[in-house]
Amino acid sequence: MKRLLCGTGIALLLGVTMGAAHADTSGKRIALSNNYAGNSWRQAMLQSWAQAAKTAISEHQLAAADTFTTPDKEVTTQAAQVQNLILQGYDAIAIDAASPDALNGAVKAACDAHIVVVSFDGIVTAPCAYRIVVDYKKMGEEQVNYLATRFPKGGNLLEIRGLAGTSIDNVIHEGIVAGVAAHPQFKIVGSVEGDWDEATAQKAVASVLSSLPPVVGVVDQGGDGYGAAQAFAAAGRPEPVIIMGNRQDELAWWKQQHDKNGYTTWSATIAPGISSLALWVTQQVLDGKTVPHDLTVPYLQITQADLDQALKTAPVGGVANITYTQQDAIKAIEANSKK
Amino acid sequence: MSGQLAALSRLRTRPWIWSFLGAALVWALAVILAGGHGAWSVITTAIAFSAFTVLVGLGQMFVITLGPGNIDLSLPANIGLASAVAMKVMDGSDGRIALGLLAAVAAGLVIGIVNYLLIRLLRIPPLIATLSSSFVIRSVGISYGRGLQIKPPLAFADLVVARLGGISVLAVLVLLLSILAGVVLARTVYGRSVLAVGQNIRAARLAGLSVRRVRFLTYALCGALGGLCGALLAGFTGGSSLDVGAEYLLTSIAVVVIGGTSVAGGMANVPGLWGAALMLFMIATLLNSSGLGIGVRDLMTGLIIIAVITLAGGRRSLR
Repeated sequence: MKRLLCGTGIALLLGVTMGAAHADTSGKRIALSNNYAGNSWRQAMLQSWAQAAKTAISEHQLAAADTFTTPDKEVTTQAAQVQNLILQGYDAIAIDAASPDALNGAVKAACDAHIVVVSFDGIVTAPCAYRIVVDYKKMGEEQVNYLATRFPKGGNLLEIRGLAGTSIDNVIHEGIVAGVAAHPQFKIVGSVEGDWDEATAQKAVASVLSSLPPVVGVVDQGGDGYGAAQAFAAAGRPEPVIIMGNRQDELAWWKQQHDKNGYTTWSATIAPGISSLALWVTQQVLDGKTVPHDLTVPYLQITQADLDQALKTAPVGGVANITYTQQDAIKAIEANSKK
Repeated sequence: MSGQLAALSRLRTRPWIWSFLGAALVWALAVILAGGHGAWSVITTAIAFSAFTVLVGLGQMFVITLGPGNIDLSLPANIGLASAVAMKVMDGSDGRIALGLLAAVAAGLVIGIVNYLLIRLLRIPPLIATLSSSFVIRSVGISYGRGLQIKPPLAFADLVVARLGGISVLAVLVLLLSILAGVVLARTVYGRSVLAVGQNIRAARLAGLSVRRVRFLTYALCGALGGLCGALLAGFTGGSSLDVGAEYLLTSIAVVVIGGTSVAGGMANVPGLWGAALMLFMIATLLNSSGLGIGVRDLMTGLIIIAVITLAGGRRSLR
């Protein structure tokens, strides 16, 4: 990966590093390129960015950290947006990309213009860009591991997939498959597409429920657990253990069920605050620090013990979140450099 | 205007029969695949979900019947915004359910009127006008709802999912609404005007019909139905979401076309909407239970839709 760094990038990095171990980033401007804002996760992501940006600017770590959101999920719109950001002369672009590879052309153009590109959540594969991801594969495996502690004898599982064709959907699915391979007492008896959306998941689950044998658990990708619960309730079937994805409505439903009949499950997803981590990582790169191009950070998980606290802090209709600090970014960079 | 008996005798030549046949066939396959389990519950579930599809399908059908080029692509954004408006106005309180429904319908109505004004005053083709207005609506929705999932009042959620003898109450209400729409189309001046405009806009104008008023009313109606659907969906899925209408862009058009309504306009088909909506849900059931990969499922969905449209269309041209 490092060898693939384009020559100009190395020159830039060397130049900055040699100029001073701690280059002054107080004059640097970062842009956030975001491709959608219509759901609670994205809204929380933008809020975390704004919060971190405020801190960074007031502490004179950055001059500006502006947000640019395209109105749709289209790759072409975002590619045009990135081109505009290049022309506007930003020093760095943090990007939640609509596609892992379709934006590589625009990203390459940014790199060639000596602009640091840091992708997170929706990452880009262009070698010159940085990638901040959570270990989705492990998140998939952990779902089955958790269910194995609840049902040592195993049983049937229903899987809800995410948005087809995305890297995230594939990786979580691989994790779930690996988890089932490790716990062969479980069997996936049905798989539907939920698109990380409660309404879509509800409809998809409802469409297969009548033909499914009893299931003990639902493995999914977040943003679909509440919809699945609704579908089970509407069909008059007992609720299986549905893995949740940190959405407030999912957690509220979980709490309600827990108070009623002791229902317990496990919840995990990528914290929207990863945008704040991206901001600080970008600042660190601009500061001339050596940062690995691929950073893996932990996902945010909620267990029964954390449930009440998580519900207290998650905004109604929103998603549980943490906003990262500069220290967190430095720690994450160190942890990934050791690997 | 023909009587019920005459209509019955011509049943076989009616294009909408194909969508019901298709639905029945796919249902049978799904039940066989499931080893005979859940035959009845597949039907009741399909009916419950079809209510929403038919609701937006009705609006889209009136618009498409206006003739070539007429289409409303702003429905998904409309549904998303209306779901947020309804939930915010209801504010989780049972006493404000009617108010919330009214607000959602009003929001949809305004969207429909704006769509028509874009088409009429700025002379933008409906395709472009409604597509661009959907961007505006979505942006309004994002700043209005902040992407939050607002919960419906308990009584509203219960009402929308309520079932009597397994049959969704909401679906029965939508069925009554579809019958009303059928009567409006066949027996009222407005309905006949929609058909006349769709058949030949010049002839309609020369015959003294106010084409502008008919189109205005139709886009407004479609918007209002979208708004109503948004409010109901928010209750059904347990909260508003800007994405809740996403699937209704293609679905609303697909049910109209599969249902036997002429894409060229001038000929509408209300019963076909139900057959098509049921069939689309049955296809999802069949493919979801088949365990096939998502790529194959999408491919199959496309092929089945093409097959049914070809059959229905082929039958029509024979007449």
